[in-house]
Amino acid sequence: MISLKGLCKRYGDRTAVDDLSLEVRAGAVTGFLGPNGAGKSTTMRLVLGLDRPTAGTALIGGVPYHQLRNPLRTVGAMLDARALHPGRSGYAHLTALARSNGIARGRVAEVLERVGMAEGARRRAGALSLGMSQRLGIAAALLGDPAVLMFDEPVNGLDPEGVRWVRHLMRSLADEGRTVFVSSHLMSEMQLTADHLVVIGRGRLIMDAPLAEVIAGSALTAVAVRTPHADDLSARLSAAGVTVERLGENELVATGATIERVGDLAYEAGIRLHELRTREASLEQAYQELTAGSVEYATRGTGA
Amino acid sequence: MSEGDGRVSGGVGDEEDGRVNGVVLLGRAVGAEWVKLWSVRSTWWCLAGAAALTVLGAVTVGAGEATDLARAAAGDASVTASGPVVSAAALVPFALAAMATLVITAEYASRGIWGTLQAVPVRGRVLAAKALVVAPVAAVAGVLSGAAATAAVTAVLSADVFGARVALPPDRIALDLLRMGLFFALVSVMTVGVGAAVRSAAGTLSVVFMLLMGVPMILLMTGGSAALAASLRMPLFAGLAFMESADTVTGGPIPYPAGEGLAWLLAWTTAALAAGHAVLRRRDA
Repeated sequence: MISLKGLCKRYGDRTAVDDLSLEVRAGAVTGFLGPNGAGKSTTMRLVLGLDRPTAGTALIGGVPYHQLRNPLRTVGAMLDARALHPGRSGYAHLTALARSNGIARGRVAEVLERVGMAEGARRRAGALSLGMSQRLGIAAALLGDPAVLMFDEPVNGLDPEGVRWVRHLMRSLADEGRTVFVSSHLMSEMQLTADHLVVIGRGRLIMDAPLAEVIAGSALTAVAVRTPHADDLSARLSAAGVTVERLGENELVATGATIERVGDLAYEAGIRLHELRTREASLEQAYQELTAGSVEYATRGTGA
Repeated sequence: MSEGDGRVSGGVGDEEDGRVNGVVLLGRAVGAEWVKLWSVRSTWWCLAGAAALTVLGAVTVGAGEATDLARAAAGDASVTASGPVVSAAALVPFALAAMATLVITAEYASRGIWGTLQAVPVRGRVLAAKALVVAPVAAVAGVLSGAAATAAVTAVLSADVFGARVALPPDRIALDLLRMGLFFALVSVMTVGVGAAVRSAAGTLSVVFMLLMGVPMILLMTGGSAALAASLRMPLFAGLAFMESADTVTGGPIPYPAGEGLAWLLAWTTAALAAGHAVLRRRDA
């Protein structure tokens, strides 16, 4: 489990991570979202002890990273799949990592098999496609059979089959009781993979909630209605203070009211309904609402 | 692909924490660095370069010395076969320094250093592991290429043109080769320290070149006696003093004992490692 307390990182006068406190729990996939430059990668680097925090702490199972004696057996992380010597084979790369943490040699072939890189790993890392590099990076993260896994944009460069595979992998790792912390800019991907979401913008925490809550809380979650008396119902709902959008001859979308209230208002007016259902916002929409403020601010910031 | 095959079974963590001490952890880090050193081509190129420089340099110097002896009609004076090898040793450190440079700077260039520090988060341990791998490799490279160069010098100087003025005193040759190996090992470790502090390959090689050649040459050109004394304490001349090289760039033996040369060499190496360690600890990876 990862816990951040008041984590801050400043580079000169730029604040990359600003007083971030959160817990990433075991047995779930936690999605880490935010616009570009929001501080996602920096946060992961701070957790791994690659950068020193300006203030605050990042602990793994209650211990700072540098105190882990064989860290790869506790935390597996892939920050950048291309971050390895291009002249070294994937196999040699993993062998060196295994040696450094006293991991049995046999694990190398095992994880390469698991990511489907049994053959590709014999080639120089620089000759691998981005998708294959991602698989190699994931193999390195899995090497020490760690309880905590962190992935920075793991589906970058993968084909649809690979994307499905990563989705499955995240799920099964979490189901095995591990902590899985994944950053992504692909909201649709997170909607399918994550149980819990952490959203940051400009280095600050914007939201830390279960996926279902984020989506339900969106103003874009609405009630869709199909009725032969769309004009009447539209007038009724508007009069009751509900925002109505006309989609077609017989279709309306109401926002700002629960499905029960829309149904009751139609019943009171004696209007026949052919369909009444909740239309959920996509994570993409919910996310855009959440981060609109920080993106706007960023744009103004760079313009100044 | 076999995701969810149950082999990775739920976070075992660091179960052997209790019985693993710092020595074991250092040993593991050394093992990793060993695998990394031999799994890139540049290591082989640098070692081949070092061997070629040793042999070619030694034969050239040896031929010159034998010719001088013949011209001076110096009776039955002869060239000790490993003497020219030691003289030529002034060139070889650059090839080995290139190898030692890449051991650390290639990781910064490729960002592979992130993986290295994830695996071994204690900065001092990473630096020690790199030094402990580079040192014996450079030492063995020095002894072996020195032996090959000694054989080449013997073969060439045995030819009639050089009047067969070559001697092979085994004790002296063994001492020369061993000291050369140690000199190369220390220069390589010094380079690792500089590399950790500077991080770029070009920067590291420039600093090492300045330490070995540039600064001593500038000091010599000033001509002052203090400058001369200082330049003779820089790593290259300290190494030549340690190896008791008779024929140096300064035109003669270094005017202080071999032991002092070793001491200066150790001091420079220690200083470079301390600088590298300080930067590794303080600066973000």
